[in-house]
Amino acid sequence: MELTRNLKMNLAAVKARASVRVLATFRERSWMIGETLFPFLTMSAFVLVYRGLSAPREYEGFVVLGGAMTAYWNSVIWSMASQFFWEKEQGQLQLYLISPVSRMSILLGMALGGIVMTTSRAVAILLGGILVFKVSLPLDRALPAFGLFLLTLGAAYSLGMVLSSLFLLWGREVWHTATLFQEPIYLLSGFYFPVSAMGVGVAAVASILPMTLGLDGIRQVFYGASAHGLVPLRLIPPIQIALIALFLLLARVSLRTMENLGKREGRLTLRGD
Amino acid sequence: MKRLFQVLRTSAWLGWQIEANWADPFIFFAYAIAKPLATTMILYLMVRIVSQGDATAETFRYLFLGNTFFLYVSEVLIGISWAVFRDREDYETLKYIYIAPLRLLGYLAGRACTRAATATLGILIALAFGRWVLGLTIGVPGTNWAAVAGATLLGLVAVLWLGMILAGTSLVVARHSMNLNEGLSGIFFLACGAVFPLDVLPSWARAISLSLPFTYWLELLRRMLTGRGYARLLSGLDDGDLWGILAISTAGLCVLALIWFGWCERTARARGLIDWKTNY
Repeated sequence: MELTRNLKMNLAAVKARASVRVLATFRERSWMIGETLFPFLTMSAFVLVYRGLSAPREYEGFVVLGGAMTAYWNSVIWSMASQFFWEKEQGQLQLYLISPVSRMSILLGMALGGIVMTTSRAVAILLGGILVFKVSLPLDRALPAFGLFLLTLGAAYSLGMVLSSLFLLWGREVWHTATLFQEPIYLLSGFYFPVSAMGVGVAAVASILPMTLGLDGIRQVFYGASAHGLVPLRLIPPIQIALIALFLLLARVSLRTMENLGKREGRLTLRGD
Repeated sequence: MKRLFQVLRTSAWLGWQIEANWADPFIFFAYAIAKPLATTMILYLMVRIVSQGDATAETFRYLFLGNTFFLYVSEVLIGISWAVFRDREDYETLKYIYIAPLRLLGYLAGRACTRAATATLGILIALAFGRWVLGLTIGVPGTNWAAVAGATLLGLVAVLWLGMILAGTSLVVARHSMNLNEGLSGIFFLACGAVFPLDVLPSWARAISLSLPFTYWLELLRRMLTGRGYARLLSGLDDGDLWGILAISTAGLCVLALIWFGWCERTARARGLIDWKTNY
């Protein structure tokens, strides 16, 4: 009875937190432009850079797929991991903390809402790439690619939950660090070109980021051997599932630890920190 | 004038505190230079890997210079609108600044000065890195360094006024700062040919590119620092033409920014958006 009540309450929290984002997506029209046109133009810059460098044609496809995945990674970092920091700055974090729901339910709601918000952005990048730059994406392989994409999102947003525990306690130092590492993480995740081009050692370290293997796998599904894959495709789904389990477990422990630490140090309501 | 200087100095100091007081000076310095160095290295790797060894050192030098000076656009331009969002929604201080006896425009210009100073530091370090670590030639025997400094300053003024247009827009739109930042930065990165020759742009995009002062600014800086032009599209213009276009477009941006910012400020006040919160 207690379990059912808790489950219902937490599911309601997930729905409530997600719905704020879903509604916001359609409420702010200027937001939709920001979410579709601007990221498409950013991706276009890279396609043109590649053309300027006379890169092989498939690299344009790589950067379009990378651009779509970048949108989700940005959502993980800025709308998921750092969201508790913004909530703290605005004085809302304490409202979450005194509510009787799990922090992970709130984060799950953020993640689901964030995925909906970000999908318009990713679709704009993909469609723009296909229609404007004539990038080839064999749609007959879309289903396995989509499956891999869902697993990658699961792992990435689970990592976002772990990172949010850091933002829960620390403030601008983590925020500046996230800003600082944004571009290097794009590089290590293979957003610009296959990560295997940087050598096995670097690529192996980068594989701890869910986006790295996810993008590697999706490119292998679409482009086969020309994707210069890092890990055999059949191994990628089990690795992503293992990463999801690992990150969720870490998030649970880390959120509880950081919250307790924050309470002891009185930093959970400290604004402008 | 004295009053404006006071406002600029105070808001620049405030901006410095907001930007830098989360860490000791050494760590802040490390953060300030890490980003330009990281983007330089990324560009270096990208050129090497993507071009599969076909790109020459000369090509990389042009890309390097464009990318390095573009840091002013990404830092200063975007930083001003970011200040509006932060003050309005996180610190909730925009309303107090608004009712204080100062002009919002002057206050934001002061905040931009802080960003310009940190961006300058990053650019200088990146140029030194390019010169002594990557072995690039920065400047030619005939380079007039005073003219380089003048052109940089003029471009920076253009960035500042464009930033004011963006800041005015930020007063009346919801917070989607990251997308706005990233997107606008992407548009300018795309349109002004920071890291690729303008000649590869489709014809419709060339028209946009030619309407941006940054296009002429980067070309002028490249010519002064390498002794040769980069964009064939601009080969018909001599250095004097580039100076003239840059100066006229900067003046135009100034007028446009004053009109637009004033309109946005009045609209924000009329609609009650000065203390708006939109962090969903």
